[in-house]
Amino acid sequence: MLVMRRRAGESFLVGDDIEIQVLQVNGTRVKLGISAPVSVVIVRREVQITQDENQIAARGVSPCAIDSLLQVLPVLAIPSPVSAGCQDFDESNNLSQ
Amino acid sequence: MPSVLTTCFHEIDYTNSSVFHFPCGLPGFEHERAFVFLNRPASHPLMFMQSVLTPKLCFVLLPVFVVAPQYRLFLDEEPLAELQLPLTSQPEIGKDILCAVIVCARGNQEPPTVNLLAPVIVNLRDRIGIQVIQTQSGYSHRHPLVPQEELTSCS
Repeated sequence: MLVMRRRAGESFLVGDDIEIQVLQVNGTRVKLGISAPVSVVIVRREVQITQDENQIAARGVSPCAIDSLLQVLPVLAIPSPVSAGCQDFDESNNLSQ
Repeated sequence: MPSVLTTCFHEIDYTNSSVFHFPCGLPGFEHERAFVFLNRPASHPLMFMQSVLTPKLCFVLLPVFVVAPQYRLFLDEEPLAELQLPLTSQPEIGKDILCAVIVCARGNQEPPTVNLLAPVIVNLRDRIGIQVIQTQSGYSHRHPLVPQEELTSCS
C-alpha cells in the first residue's frame, strides 16, 4: 500500500483524471473532495460491503436454509415475540385479516 | 387484493396497508422499494422481508436484540429524516422503530451470520424502511449468529 502524508488543501492524483483533495481534517474525521469522470463509480467501503452481503443473503434464502436456521436458533435466548408491524401467517391461511 | 408469488411461501395475499416503503431500496437492491414483513409462527423469531416486486427476493431477518441484546443503534439526522422521525431524539426500538438484522445463511457448512453493521430500520407508524450502515459502531457485517463455542460444543 502506498502511504502518503497530505495536509488540508493538498491533493493527489489517481491515474490521469481522478483527483482527491483533502478538504478538512478535524480530529479523527477527514473530509475529502473527489473529482473523477462520471463513469468512475465511487462508493464508501462499508456500502460496498453491505451490497455484497445483501446479495449473498438473498441468494441463501430457501426453505431448506430456513429449516437449518431454525435448528440453530434454540441456542439463543429468545425473548417474547417481537412482531410489531409484521403480518402473522401460516401457509394454510391467507394473510388478509 | 394484491398478492405476490414467493419462492419460499407460495402465493401470499397482502393488503396495501401492510407494505413497507424503502425510498432508497437496499444497498445492492436499489430498485426494490416495497416489501412486506411476514411472521410465521413455526419460524419464530425469524422474520421474512419479501419483495413485492420480485417473487424470488426474500430476506430472512431477526430482531436485533435476539442476536445482540446490548446492541446500540445510533441514527444521525440523515436516516432520521429519511424515516420521517423527529431529528431531536433517538427513536426507541420496538416502540417507534423495528430494528432487525439480515441473516446470511451461507451454506457449504459455513455457519450463518448476521449483518450487525447495517441493520434494517423501519418506522412502524409510517411504514418507511431503510438499511442504515452504522459506520462508527465497530459492529461486524458477518457477526456469527450462534457463538462459535456453542457450535463446537454441539458437534
